[in-house]
Amino acid sequence: MKKLTFQTDVLPLKDELYRLALRITLNTAEAEDVVQETMLKVWNRREQWDTIGSMEAFCLTICRNMALDRMKRADTQNQPLEASHEAVDTSYASNPEEQAVQRDRVRLVRQLMTQLPEKQRTCMQLRDVEGKPYKDIAAIMGITEQQVKVNIFRARQAIKQKFIESEQYGL
Amino acid sequence: MDYKYIEQLIERYFQAETTLQEEQILRTFFAQAEEELPGSLAVYAPLFATLAEKETLGDDFDKRMLQMTGNDTPADTVTVKARTIKLTDRLRPLFKAAAVVAILLTLGQAINQSLQAVDEWVEPAQYAEVPGEQQGDGENIALNGVTIDSATLIGQVQLSDSLKSDTLSLQY
Repeated sequence: MKKLTFQTDVLPLKDELYRLALRITLNTAEAEDVVQETMLKVWNRREQWDTIGSMEAFCLTICRNMALDRMKRADTQNQPLEASHEAVDTSYASNPEEQAVQRDRVRLVRQLMTQLPEKQRTCMQLRDVEGKPYKDIAAIMGITEQQVKVNIFRARQAIKQKFIESEQYGL
Repeated sequence: MDYKYIEQLIERYFQAETTLQEEQILRTFFAQAEEELPGSLAVYAPLFATLAEKETLGDDFDKRMLQMTGNDTPADTVTVKARTIKLTDRLRPLFKAAAVVAILLTLGQAINQSLQAVDEWVEPAQYAEVPGEQQGDGENIALNGVTIDSATLIGQVQLSDSLKSDTLSLQY
């Protein structure tokens, strides 16, 4: 088997890890910290690299757990999570250009996604953004494939519902 | 343009029944300009635009990470220490080869010599046994009489000594 190195096998995963952490923490600075901690942890466990089936899944699992830990800690400190996240600008009159409207719509979808439960959000992120098969997502999250499918179904249904509702208000 | 296929895909997408390939088709389809999409589909454009958005970390993150893990020396450059090489160091392999050759020669010589020594030593020894055997036969005179002759024979043929001395004694 090829010898794994930090630069060629771990570091290139940074953006994928960052996006996953961002979906969970909803904060860019926190997400970057999580990725950094994840990579340090993976680096410190380099003796075990040969026994790892998939470095990507291994890193994603650690990253998700670290992000969830942070959320728990933030919860106990009673910090409002929404405070760090930009509120969607609903005053469309202030954005007359079509492009700006499109940007706002993307932000609205983003906002809808952040309102989903963490499991649904993570499943949707790994499936719809990173393009991972159910099997891999199940391994990363430590749940069954069926549960992954259910989470994705609920996430898409919720998005569709809210999205259609918002559209009806004349976006 | 017929959008039935895409509409079908969207329907199945929300039912979580699409394959990864079909979801890729949807993302690619919605990556085109919104104006070209019919109204019923344009509704979903922002959703797929959001899913296509991929946030990234800056390059300074790489640098920081490599420093923190002590991987900041690029993989393809290896630090090499300068070191002076003396003539004897440079010739060391030659010395080794010479030593091996010398040992082989010495060994060969020693084996050759010992083999020769064995050759020289064994034959007189065999001969030396001859008088001992013959002495018991009571044919001393006959044997003594042919000593010179039989001595010349030694180097040439390995004769059965008893037979030889018998025939010789008969001649006398």
